[in-house]
Amino acid sequence: MTLACTNPTMSHASQFRAQLCHSLIMSVARVKRDHGETSVPTRQEMVLMAHLMRRAGFGEPHADLIVHASKGYESVVEELLHPKDQPPIDEELMYRILPGYEGALGPPISQADWMFRMVNTQRPLEEKIALFWHQMFATSNSKVDNPPEIGRQIAMFREYGLGSYRDLLIELAKSPAMIFWLDNHGNHDGAINENWGRELLELFSLGVGNYTEDDIKEASRAFTGWTIAPKIPRNPLGRFYWNFEYKPEDHDNEEKTFLGNTGNLNGEDIMQIIVNQPASARFLARHLYRFFVADEPDVSSWNSTPPNDPEAIEVLVDAYNESQGDIRSILRVLFNSDFFKNSLYAKVKSPAELIVGTVRIAGNYEGFRPGFNNLALECAWQGQELLNPPSVEGWHTGAAWIDAGALMRRVNFAAGVMGDTSHPGVKTIINTVRMQETQSPQMLVSQCLDSMGPLQVSDITLKELLTHALKDGELMWDTPEQIEFSEERVARLLALIAASRDYQFA
Amino acid sequence: MLTTVAAGRVFDYSHCIGMYSQSGQGFWTPQDFVLGKDGRVYVLSRGVEQLGQRVSKINLDSEFQGQFGSFGGEEGRFIWPRSIDVDQDGRVYVSDEYTNRISVFDAEGAFRYHWGRYGDDDGLLSGPSGIAFDSNNNLWVVDSLNHRVQCFRQQGPFISKFGTQGSGDGELEMPWGLCIDNNQDIYVADWGNNRVQKFSPDGKLLVIFEGTSDGVGSLKGPSGVAVDSEGDVYVTDWGNHRVQIYDASGRFITTLVGDAQEPSPWTQTYIDANPEIIKARRRANMEPEWRFRRPVAVNVDANFRIIVLESARHRLQIYNKLKDYEEHSLNL
Repeated sequence: MTLACTNPTMSHASQFRAQLCHSLIMSVARVKRDHGETSVPTRQEMVLMAHLMRRAGFGEPHADLIVHASKGYESVVEELLHPKDQPPIDEELMYRILPGYEGALGPPISQADWMFRMVNTQRPLEEKIALFWHQMFATSNSKVDNPPEIGRQIAMFREYGLGSYRDLLIELAKSPAMIFWLDNHGNHDGAINENWGRELLELFSLGVGNYTEDDIKEASRAFTGWTIAPKIPRNPLGRFYWNFEYKPEDHDNEEKTFLGNTGNLNGEDIMQIIVNQPASARFLARHLYRFFVADEPDVSSWNSTPPNDPEAIEVLVDAYNESQGDIRSILRVLFNSDFFKNSLYAKVKSPAELIVGTVRIAGNYEGFRPGFNNLALECAWQGQELLNPPSVEGWHTGAAWIDAGALMRRVNFAAGVMGDTSHPGVKTIINTVRMQETQSPQMLVSQCLDSMGPLQVSDITLKELLTHALKDGELMWDTPEQIEFSEERVARLLALIAASRDYQFA
Repeated sequence: MLTTVAAGRVFDYSHCIGMYSQSGQGFWTPQDFVLGKDGRVYVLSRGVEQLGQRVSKINLDSEFQGQFGSFGGEEGRFIWPRSIDVDQDGRVYVSDEYTNRISVFDAEGAFRYHWGRYGDDDGLLSGPSGIAFDSNNNLWVVDSLNHRVQCFRQQGPFISKFGTQGSGDGELEMPWGLCIDNNQDIYVADWGNNRVQKFSPDGKLLVIFEGTSDGVGSLKGPSGVAVDSEGDVYVTDWGNHRVQIYDASGRFITTLVGDAQEPSPWTQTYIDANPEIIKARRRANMEPEWRFRRPVAVNVDANFRIIVLESARHRLQIYNKLKDYEEHSLNL
């Protein structure tokens, strides 16, 4: 059987795109009608909403996207920017059901805790911004050896991650995991350790070329006495919290000069001076652009490599300056900008994005269940071991996520999840397909692409999907054998889509 | 305080047992324990994900006597084990919230059979949590996600039930543990409603144990409950990391917060073998280690020993309710 071509001037793929558009609008209209609403999101609105939710979150099942799209784009941006308006993860319930997650002793369990939150959160940007700061302020269990303590740093990112950059930096300087990671507990009056001071300027705020070696020394002096209280060892009774401690007797109270500012500077003063620097605005703008908008070169080359879209960076710098470094305000400008809306599929999904996005669509990790550590391990095997970035520079992103081994794992994972007919989200897609008036192979492809996005794919991918779907003709649902076969066909097509090159992009 | 004196009672800290371990001597996120025959204590570890699920056999002198069970959905294994009790013949029963089963073992841990399946009809289970035998050898099961308590014969036939979801008097919200007193009345840790409710066997509400309007005696997510032969009621106040004690009428008496200033023998052995840990402990404020962290279950034995199990410290803390206590000279 071949795909009917009703307009000889259009390619099969182009014709099919038109059918897909119609099919999507009709399915949206049905949902809206069932909810007593009259307005129907356009295809463009749905595509844009899927884009927003992939970037500001981890992607959503189709039905949720329809609900969001019907609210309007800017309204949803505001929802995302105010996560506390949505219910939090019920931690008491979580620790009742999954008691080992609290004060976890092994790395996979703390990673599983975060996986649970990313998959089940009703505050997607709260988790996504935490992931952003974890990438930018990379703190690794390879040295800290205390996953729950890094988990507390992640919780701090949830709390402060959308607020003032200055406040966030101060909290970061007080994070026991960070203090240990960058040796500030060894930074004493009269015997400074420059590790924290150097990375604060190089990787966390200004970027190379925007400070001197003397500035590093002076910043380090200002953070003397910022340390960790003596800790109870984790063994043999489990984890105990680490606590920040300011020791005034170990703080250098002499005059310091940092970036042209002179006085008896303490850590808070250093952060205020940092956030007032134009270089900080530009550095943070590039980080936000790279994480939320489009893949860019790694940070290490920024001193010599200009941004791909300098105008976009200027827009974000202006937003930084106008808001005095308020992250929420900068992201509002970013998500509502044309450069963001035009950046579809301009990023390779990180392993966390690929895994969480896939299981959110498949619904197989919804709520409490065993096995979130398997998701965390999968993330590590794909190259992103949460809470354990490879260095203080964080992960290399973009195309660096893809190598032969990682790609195989990504494809096998996504295809395996979406090809499993027992998963609730897959069952929903099967039922959606089954409810369609026509049961043509073309409809099968269009519904599956809709349900996994709406996902836009290349002509090559579309042709491959159609060729596969056409092999077995129309779907039939009359006998148990036909039902089983049709369900398998839907799942196989979903697996093919998940295995496509196009699905690797956010 | 190692010794707490309140309302004519004296609660005196004795010792602790336990440490973290994925297997063997120690526990891992233990959820419940039961006092068996001849001094045997069975401690149920929930573990984490696919590791650590087991029943440890010990006594209150810190002697480790073996273990049984492991992770899995097969017979004799657990996924989310929650509660444990022993019948009059010494057989051991374990509830599993994930498989909705009650698994039965002999006293040494050989698997016998299991019963229970998912559902909300009479006799079906959704998240079976606390379990306790009454004097008729019938098993009462907190059917947590059905927000009720059900009674079964030893081998599974359904007998009766009470409770519905809600926050009104006699209603339940994700109840957790339970215990049964000598009158066969049933005390249920009403986790979601921050209280304990006492019922007659036919489900009639008798007493509510909860905080007063000014917060005295309050509870936050109570998990376990025990009652001694004098009618005093002990509640593991899981969300507040303490044990609240009430008299039989529901009047609040006092609070225990954990007093394990001396490590258990198992813990001390570990410490002694690690000089770095010895040094670190000498520098740190050790008080957080003494205190309860997620107390999850409590029992009182015939000798008025109050035994508290801590999920997050993998440990039992033991107190004595003293009968012959004489006050010391107050002008020392």
